[in-house]
Amino acid sequence: MSNTTSDDSLITTEVQADSNDDRAASAAETAVAARDLNVYYGDERAIDDVTMEIPEKRVTALIGPSGCGKSTFLRCINRMNDMIEICRVDGDVEFGGKNVYDTDVDPVALRRKIGMVFQKPNPFPKSIRDNVAYGLKIQGFDGDVDKRVEESLKGAALWDEVKDQLDSSGLELSGGQQQRLCIARAIAPDPEVILMDEPTSALDPVAASKIEDLIDDLAEQYTVIIVTHNMQQAARISDRTAVFLTGGELVEYDDTAKIFEDPEEQRVEDYITGKFG
Amino acid sequence: MATDNANADGFGEVSRVRGIVFEYLSFGASVFGLVALGVLLVYVAIDAFDLANASPEWLLTYFLTLVVPFLAFCLYSANDRGVTRRALGALGGGLVAVAALFTAVETLVSPIPRLNWQLAYLFVVGAPATAYLAYVGSGGRVGAVGFGLLGRLVGGVAIGLAVGTLFLVFDPLLWFLAYTLGVLPAVGLYAVGRRRSTPRAQTAAAPVGLAGLIAAVVLRDVVSTYPSDLIIYLWTVAVPVAAAGGLLVAGRRGRTAAAVVAGLPLAVATAGGFLAAGAGLPAPTVLLVLVLTGVPTAAYVSRVVDAGEGLAGLGLPLLLGAGVIAGALIVEAWGVPAPDPWLDGSFLTGAPSRTPTDAGLYPAIVGSVIIIALVAVLSFALGVGTSVFLEEYTPESGPLGTLTRILQVNIANLAAVPSVVYGLLGLGLFANLLGLGIGTAVTAALTLSLLILPITIISAQEAIRSVPDDLRRGSDAMGATRWQTTKNVVLPEAMPGVLTGTILALGRAIGETAPLIMIGAATTVFRAPDSLFSRFSAMPMQIYTWAGFPQADFRYGVVAAGVITLLIILVGMNGTAILLRNRAERGS
Amino acid sequence: MTDSTESPDLSRRGGLTRLKEGTYGGLFAACAAITLLTTAAIFVTLLSDAVVFFRSIPIAEFLAGTNWSPNPAGGGQAFGIVPLLIGTITVTVTAAFISIPVGTLTAIYLSEYATPNARSILKPLLEILAGIPTVVYGYFALVYVTPALKATLFPEMSTFNALAASIMVGIMTIPMVSSISEDAMSAVPDELRQAGYGLGATKFEVSTGIVVPASISGIASSYILAVSRAIGETMIVVVAMGAQARMPEVQQALFGIPFVNPADVLLQSGMTITVAMVQITGGDLTGGTLPYNSMFALGLALFAVTLVMNVISDIIAQRYREEY
Repeated sequence: MSNTTSDDSLITTEVQADSNDDRAASAAETAVAARDLNVYYGDERAIDDVTMEIPEKRVTALIGPSGCGKSTFLRCINRMNDMIEICRVDGDVEFGGKNVYDTDVDPVALRRKIGMVFQKPNPFPKSIRDNVAYGLKIQGFDGDVDKRVEESLKGAALWDEVKDQLDSSGLELSGGQQQRLCIARAIAPDPEVILMDEPTSALDPVAASKIEDLIDDLAEQYTVIIVTHNMQQAARISDRTAVFLTGGELVEYDDTAKIFEDPEEQRVEDYITGKFG
Repeated sequence: MATDNANADGFGEVSRVRGIVFEYLSFGASVFGLVALGVLLVYVAIDAFDLANASPEWLLTYFLTLVVPFLAFCLYSANDRGVTRRALGALGGGLVAVAALFTAVETLVSPIPRLNWQLAYLFVVGAPATAYLAYVGSGGRVGAVGFGLLGRLVGGVAIGLAVGTLFLVFDPLLWFLAYTLGVLPAVGLYAVGRRRSTPRAQTAAAPVGLAGLIAAVVLRDVVSTYPSDLIIYLWTVAVPVAAAGGLLVAGRRGRTAAAVVAGLPLAVATAGGFLAAGAGLPAPTVLLVLVLTGVPTAAYVSRVVDAGEGLAGLGLPLLLGAGVIAGALIVEAWGVPAPDPWLDGSFLTGAPSRTPTDAGLYPAIVGSVIIIALVAVLSFALGVGTSVFLEEYTPESGPLGTLTRILQVNIANLAAVPSVVYGLLGLGLFANLLGLGIGTAVTAALTLSLLILPITIISAQEAIRSVPDDLRRGSDAMGATRWQTTKNVVLPEAMPGVLTGTILALGRAIGETAPLIMIGAATTVFRAPDSLFSRFSAMPMQIYTWAGFPQADFRYGVVAAGVITLLIILVGMNGTAILLRNRAERGS
Repeated sequence: MTDSTESPDLSRRGGLTRLKEGTYGGLFAACAAITLLTTAAIFVTLLSDAVVFFRSIPIAEFLAGTNWSPNPAGGGQAFGIVPLLIGTITVTVTAAFISIPVGTLTAIYLSEYATPNARSILKPLLEILAGIPTVVYGYFALVYVTPALKATLFPEMSTFNALAASIMVGIMTIPMVSSISEDAMSAVPDELRQAGYGLGATKFEVSTGIVVPASISGIASSYILAVSRAIGETMIVVVAMGAQARMPEVQQALFGIPFVNPADVLLQSGMTITVAMVQITGGDLTGGTLPYNSMFALGLALFAVTLVMNVISDIIAQRYREEY
């Protein structure tokens, strides 16, 4: 299955100009690390013994064919897999040096430190203001909510479009705006890591390119881990790329330029050039 | 069936006679029950309003002053030539057809008792055509405004009367203290906390309110002087309702409009209350009705005037009111013989009696309102709690999953237990074992709450299940606890559905009779109940009692009036539920 | 932004937050527990008084006795359930003669013939039939249906009779048959219908020959539910059927086989189990007397029968859900 569409190749040329991966991946501290991570759905293994270190304040892309376990891996980081009853996790995921699967870790507290953006924009049926303030509200934030809402909307490059209609429903926005609203919602409580699960796959190309620009800016402040189906996207926006192949195996993990130009593994090259996947 | 005319040369033709007969037969079956019910309802309406004695002149007068203007309004609102042509055709053609058919049947077969062709026309053509046109008309701007206003007027009066009725049972003095010491400070704190974005004030609201309520209960017997009832209602109900209306409008329209919307109805209601007190009418009820009707109406009118569309619709209540008055004047002036309906003001406000003409439903209506209010609170709380537990708090597998399945099966089975068995439960458990008393409102309310609980739970579960999982995951990923996700995301989304289901279930509770008989509800009480532990009757109970009376006037008059009253209340409740659902569906 | 070199605090919230979470969870669990408690309470309430009753009246006498006169004043009391069973069965069977064919045909029409528009109008209208208070149906039967039947078909009919009540029970239970059957028919995959048409079947043949057999378990479960509802129905029969526990007259004719003239049962008043319960409430309700306890024995019988029927209907319905 090829993930390349004509729409995507159109923007590739447009965006590539400002997508300069000049953040040196090697110089960063580790934000999230997986050690011997195995995940099972019932008897089926979804993640096969993955060990990787994800650098701080970088964009790390997880790519691979459908069903390769990249989304599962993402959801291990903030323990969203706990919601799936048949899911069993084995091994460590370290966040800030602490294994998030330790028994004394509260997944709710963990998720307050890790923001998440989903494939389909899912703003709450509330006003734009209440959407962004949601995380602050549930965490009992005691400061100036309106100021934080404004900052977050600016951070998500949405402020100019919605500043006059903060009290209208988040559902009235367009799809791309909704997704940026979800990003604003995720960054409002000032998390350390932002997980993105195919954040542009439900959007049209123009809206998707805006999100891509935004992701580049977000990496100034946050560690961004993004799952994507779209290899051009990974090449454009990420500093590091991890390639998962069927069976939940992490086949190769390296600087993005290296992966796309000179992968070590034949299988990765086949996948990237569209020979399979 | 597209293949019907497939008799191309050489293929022959498969007979469709059986199929066509079957299709019509099954269609007939589908409408059989509805037609039977329709005929019975027509008869009970004729009896309740004494239409059999309505002279053709009387019918014609009101048809011209009330129905024709209403139809014209609907047609004007629909503004559709096709609809107008069809409506006039149906009304005119129906007149000829019904008159001819009816006369033919009467002369050739046998006379039809208590029905004449005018009435037949009214029910067979007039009523459906009016309903259809009202439906079409409400789609237009003008009609939407007109029906919106009418709905607020009727709804306000109904809620005002219901609240007034509740105060017959609940101690207004205690409420006065509870409101002043508990509700008002708590709501105030919460509002301040919200406006200033200080969560601490919001968290403090609940304990403060609770402390106030406890203080109220303690002080109830210590305090010796209280303001008059009218002042209490003014302070605890009328002012807050007006303030709430004003705030809603202020957010949209600014201060002046808010002041008018809040102040005008409040002033009118206060004046009305004091005037009523002077005239010996139940002043608190007058006040409540006026303010609960006035504020929503004023808010609605202000919104419509601002929107500037469909202003003509605001005339609908005037049109109908003028029609009634004009009809009454004509009937009076020309001495048109008028029917003497059983269902009239004195029936609704009078006490039961041995003489049919004096019999009234008032104590039973009060009993029903009180029971339903209690059942609403109980079954809503229990229903939402249970459905949240089943949908949000329990996994689908594992040992807890088994518990969930057991609960589900149990609820399904409870829904099918005959209501008379719930009556035995109420009698054995609540009335005798727990000593809540035989035939008291509390016993009845608890029994009926359990009876409709499975229905409430099942519909609430459906509503909660229909909240998209995306939203839950979004909230979870923000680090919301389960309760925070439930409170902030799931319940607000599911609420219209939950309310719709609860109201429909309450409709079932209001008509239940067998459990009331079993717990020993009074067949007849002559005074409205004044406490939760006094003996009471309810509308269906009174209907049951009257249906057993031998006099024809009871059977064909008083009971019919009771049945129509009960059905009108039911239709009102279910209509509200359906409106709520439609609005929620349109909203999302 | 916190400095990520030091380990973030991910430990469980302490005190208040957890207490709050736990309180809400406990509250909801308590609500759910009330549904279980209700079932338990029904069992216990019915059983405890029924046991007292069966200490005075042996079960065999209760089940086989042909005379029911609870006579609250005492003296000449008899507690035989047979006449009540006859009354209940009469009403149930007669009502089923209306609700089953009408309901099934309605379901076929809604699922196979009706346009989506007609279906969206008819379905909620049919639900109204189940929403009318039963006391109103009883009143209709007594005041309108009985006189109409008396004037036209059965001049010898008594004022209180089983037929009018049964007709109303039947009409009331139509939506129960039609809505569950229609669900089952709608669940039949379209491929089956297509296969039928492909073989040159007419719509009628597809409806009756393919759809109905394929959804037969759903239809059967709807019948059982409707019958169970009719058995437990109270107000219609209380108002319209009267309160005379009668054994029908058995006639010796027709090749020596004893038979009962249906008119004897249908056109006369009778008493069902539910009516018997309601009738006793006219007396003393504080408990302790034999008639009071007999109510609970009857209630237990009613509860047991309806429960068993629901479970059976559930099991049958499970089958059709599994099929597709």
